[in-house]
Amino acid sequence: MSSKKSAPQRPDQTDHLPEQSRQALHGFNKALDDATRMVVKGLGAERWQALTIPLLSILLSLLVISVVILAFGNNPLEVFSSILAGAGWFAKSNYGGGQSQLTDLINLATTLTPLLFAALGVVVALRCGLFNIGIAGQMVLAGFIATVFVGYSGMDALVARPLVLVIGVVVGALAGALIGFLKYRFNIHEVVSSIMLNNIFMYVVAYIIKLNYHDPVSRNMRAASSDARLLTDPVHLGEASARLPVGFLLAVIAAFVLWFFLTKTRQGFEMTAVGKSPKAAQYAGIKIGRTVVFAMALSGAMGGLAGVTHYLASVPSIAPNVLPSVGFDGIAVAFLGNAHPLGAVLAATLIATLSTGATYMSSIVGVRQEIAALITGMILLFTACGGYLKSWLENKKSMIADADRAAADRAAGSKGGDGA
Amino acid sequence: MSILDVNYAAILVDGLSFALPLLIIAIGGIYSERSGIVNLALEGLLGFGAFVGALFVASTAGLFAAHSDLPMYFSFLFAAIGGGMFAVIHAVLCIKFMANQVISGVVINILSVALTGFFTSTINANFFGQASERFMLQTSPRWDIPFLMDIPILGAAFTRVYPFMLIILVVATFFWYLLYKTQFGMRVRAAGDNPQALDAAGVNVSRVRFGAVVISGVLAGIGGMSFAYSISTNFSPAIYMGFGFLAIAALIFGNWKIIPTFAACLIFGLTRSAAFNLLPVFDASAAVLDLALAAPFVVTLVLLAVFGKKNMAPRALGDVYDKSKR
Amino acid sequence: MAKQDAGLSQEIILEVRNLTKRFPGIVACDNISLDIRKGEIYALLGENGAGKSTLASMIFGLYQPDEGQIYIRGQAVSIDSPNEAVALDIGMVHQHFKLVSNYTVAENIILGDEPRKKALGLFPYVDIKSAEARIEQLSRDYGLEVDPRAVIHDLGVSTQQRVEILKMLYRDAEILIFDEPTAMLTPQEIESLLQIIKNLRDQGKTVIFITHKLDEVMEVCDRCAILVRGKLVDISNTADTSPRELASKMVGRDIEFSAKRPTKGMGDTILEVEGLRVEDANGFPKVNDVSFKVHAGEIFAVAGVSGSGQTELADAIAGLAKTKKGDIKLKGHSLSKMNVRKRSEDGIAYIPEDRQSVGLVLDFCLDQNLALKSYYRKPYCKTSLLKPVAFSEHAKGLIDDFDIRCARGPKTITREMSGGNQQKAIVGREIDQGADLLIFVQPTRGLDIGAIMAIRERILDERDKGKAVLLISLELDEVMDLADTIGVMYAGQMLKVAAAADLSMNQVGEFMMGVTGNE
Repeated sequence: MSSKKSAPQRPDQTDHLPEQSRQALHGFNKALDDATRMVVKGLGAERWQALTIPLLSILLSLLVISVVILAFGNNPLEVFSSILAGAGWFAKSNYGGGQSQLTDLINLATTLTPLLFAALGVVVALRCGLFNIGIAGQMVLAGFIATVFVGYSGMDALVARPLVLVIGVVVGALAGALIGFLKYRFNIHEVVSSIMLNNIFMYVVAYIIKLNYHDPVSRNMRAASSDARLLTDPVHLGEASARLPVGFLLAVIAAFVLWFFLTKTRQGFEMTAVGKSPKAAQYAGIKIGRTVVFAMALSGAMGGLAGVTHYLASVPSIAPNVLPSVGFDGIAVAFLGNAHPLGAVLAATLIATLSTGATYMSSIVGVRQEIAALITGMILLFTACGGYLKSWLENKKSMIADADRAAADRAAGSKGGDGA
Repeated sequence: MSILDVNYAAILVDGLSFALPLLIIAIGGIYSERSGIVNLALEGLLGFGAFVGALFVASTAGLFAAHSDLPMYFSFLFAAIGGGMFAVIHAVLCIKFMANQVISGVVINILSVALTGFFTSTINANFFGQASERFMLQTSPRWDIPFLMDIPILGAAFTRVYPFMLIILVVATFFWYLLYKTQFGMRVRAAGDNPQALDAAGVNVSRVRFGAVVISGVLAGIGGMSFAYSISTNFSPAIYMGFGFLAIAALIFGNWKIIPTFAACLIFGLTRSAAFNLLPVFDASAAVLDLALAAPFVVTLVLLAVFGKKNMAPRALGDVYDKSKR
Repeated sequence: MAKQDAGLSQEIILEVRNLTKRFPGIVACDNISLDIRKGEIYALLGENGAGKSTLASMIFGLYQPDEGQIYIRGQAVSIDSPNEAVALDIGMVHQHFKLVSNYTVAENIILGDEPRKKALGLFPYVDIKSAEARIEQLSRDYGLEVDPRAVIHDLGVSTQQRVEILKMLYRDAEILIFDEPTAMLTPQEIESLLQIIKNLRDQGKTVIFITHKLDEVMEVCDRCAILVRGKLVDISNTADTSPRELASKMVGRDIEFSAKRPTKGMGDTILEVEGLRVEDANGFPKVNDVSFKVHAGEIFAVAGVSGSGQTELADAIAGLAKTKKGDIKLKGHSLSKMNVRKRSEDGIAYIPEDRQSVGLVLDFCLDQNLALKSYYRKPYCKTSLLKPVAFSEHAKGLIDDFDIRCARGPKTITREMSGGNQQKAIVGREIDQGADLLIFVQPTRGLDIGAIMAIRERILDERDKGKAVLLISLELDEVMDLADTIGVMYAGQMLKVAAAADLSMNQVGEFMMGVTGNE
């Protein structure tokens, strides 16, 4: 169709330029065109966009951060490599007593676990069209109840640890379901009720801690007994030794189970339908209220697991009057992972790497460790533009296709001998 | 001690000193959301605004007379500019790049915490030669308002007033007028209800929304700076205490209208200050304070459960407006 | 029939030359040239998708032509935005009104061109008082009755349309474009709109009237241009032509006017509605004391202006809206205790009014949407696990049966399909359920003539198979063409139920306006 129009040469606006610069301009245009084609070819495949676009975002943000690092007179490559070393992906130049690359990796897994659970909680809710920013509150509540009822009980590890996990699931699910219930029964937006409940849980838990469970030295909650904590007894790994995080494997398995659940089961289908179009779901005979409450309960259960794996593994105990930042970082991880359970695994690994590696990097290179958060922010910033990039690619793709068709037409025309 | 010893003046003033910054942030949110752009970024905007304001104070410390209040007034100006500039990111992401507005808000918040945290400590280390993650501010003066303070009972609200409270009252009145009485305000509200209608009337929807989002940053910046003066007398990442989210709750509670939102802010502010001021009087343990602080959130939830059914978000809230798709 | 060439000025106010507009995959307007005289009513006539709206949109600056030129009063102009169109004194009433629902009439009219004043000489504000006065004056001048202080969401369709007309007049528009203005109106409302349009012409305005209804063209228009698939096929003086001639040019062949196919005989009562009351969120009755019966082999068509309670009636039968009072019976038993799914399993199929947000999950694949009512049953689902093969097999069958065009078969994202094919998918899915009662709400809205015919044929087929059909349509033509029995709703009440043969189109129209006692 449009081939007819693009075939006649446009009036050349470069006529007034000297021959040399005209050629240069053409050359530049050609290069630009080639570059566009390459980008479109590389990123245009829709099947891979879930991967290619985040990767591009990561690349771009590293580029921007490099400029910042350079501006402060440091070597960006050194910064990045020491972050990776700090997280255990590379060997450090030397290790303190009882530490090794393996223990660093185990540390990474320990911090990654609650982050992944938190992100999975956000993902599940997003699938159902809900935005759960109440993960932080669900974490505090679950961590608190588990510490009180199991952490101080002196139960045997074999009973205590599973019980802690069960408490995490149950308490989190109930707290999550409450948000869902408030939404469907009273029309309270889940963002608002999450914010309210976050604060309510935080203050009430702080009150009870200060009343009964205060540790006067740390000013935090008294720590749970090591039998109740979700870390194994120290395992010897050559020279080094470390406690293994019980929840890590569980979190990865949870990601796979959720993926299967969301895409392959009836309940997952119903949740997705409600998330994409509540009206159509209702029309299809799906019970909206029940689905919303169920989705929030599932999301909350993940939040609860994030809570117990955070407070009973990666940090010593609960600090009163503070909401865990992991609960909010989980939102970032979920978006970075394209609201997909398996994407969340990759994204959580990346974010946990940045945050655990930054301390070591800071001590070696001297760039403030807050740079890690900055990198995360930048990656998210670019990821947020992914939708625009997608439509840009669509556009360019059809433009290139049109141009190619026009060129082919022209070629065919000149072969026929009647070229205009 | 008895009920007679309660410092009612302090409850009123403290309550207002919390409610007013919250209000101005919420008005910012109202502008953005009435124009159709979801704004979960208020938390990040208020923090970045306060950062820029405090940076101004820290970097001009030698230029002003020792006890001059001028840096404080300037800090509000710079906080407004800083918040407005940071809001440009949200506006560009949501309007130009058609990003998911919720995601964009989350991004802004994370970026704000990261940027201010990184630059506060880096600037302190590299330029001021000290290892600190905060910018110190001067103590804000407190004013007694002549005549008004002599009114029985309510007069208490006009003693020991922070200057920012007056600034906010003036600014809030101005932006109330702008939203409900002027051409721009009319267009903002139309953009959030039916952008197609606004477009058909020959108005550039993107530009109106852009303006509204930038205003949300300006107002959040002023609110953030106020919190920096009233709560901590410094800027540090501790400013991110969730006040931005509280403002969102207030504006939803206020049904996206300025006056009811003010009422919501007053509930938050007064219950909070009552908790702080009443507990010592009744010799309650310090822990009870936490319980009291939870009260406004419980009250809000209950009120929303009772009255929430009538709440109506702007019709086009969250819709990406793509001119090419009619 | 007052159309006289005698008084008509010969001044060309608007001229388009060789206008072409392409969209991906189609040429919406193909090299169109025409000129319009000042003070005439000029019709753009054609089927859905013929390019009339695209042409008008280019004149109003909503789209830019790929080729060609527009001249206003002899001057070549490029109209890049509606703003420029307004500056050139062009106004347009869109098919979907562009009104801010929570604003008053006056606020809507002045939006974008607000009169301003300064309080105390300092604070600018929108001077709504003087705007209201001017609007009252305008509505008196042109006979457009409307209260400038009324809020839009309290107004009916025809009043909202008057607001749109006032919007143009407020901006001193000289060329007024009406895009399918009669689609949502009753015959009586149409009559009064056509009178308004004639008034406008008599006051010297030029009117461009987009429509596919021949009788309207014949009644008010001076000339008409006929468009077929983007091409201009003819320009006629309406005085010199006949509806039949126009029709054959418009469709490109001779068409048969409404082939009516009466029922082959009715069977048992399938649906029985008794004293039904449905309320909105504020307790206001949307359906009030409605009773009727639909039998096997009968098409019961409900006529009424938009918002008379038809949607709520359909929703209540399907279980999507709460029944406040009364009862709904299917095949003799009450549905009151049954939820949406039970009713569907019990034998109700429902093609909802809003196909995009209710009938389909647009982000789902076609095969998922085609199983939207049955995904939870065997063979699609066994012990909670979905069976993708069953989904796609089922979808393939329906795609063939109902001629659903989809780029990637069962895996096509529904959002990417055209409106007509989306509708075919819903109709296919619902008919496939083999239900005893089929509820069709606005089944052909916005579709092209081919799709309309196909869907109407399906409705008649189902009736002939002995199904009970409840058809709800705002298009009176459709009601008259298909119905065996007609029920007319007005303000939530069923004002009249009678055999289709016993009612004329005008009688139905009067009931739609709430006029009774004309029997």
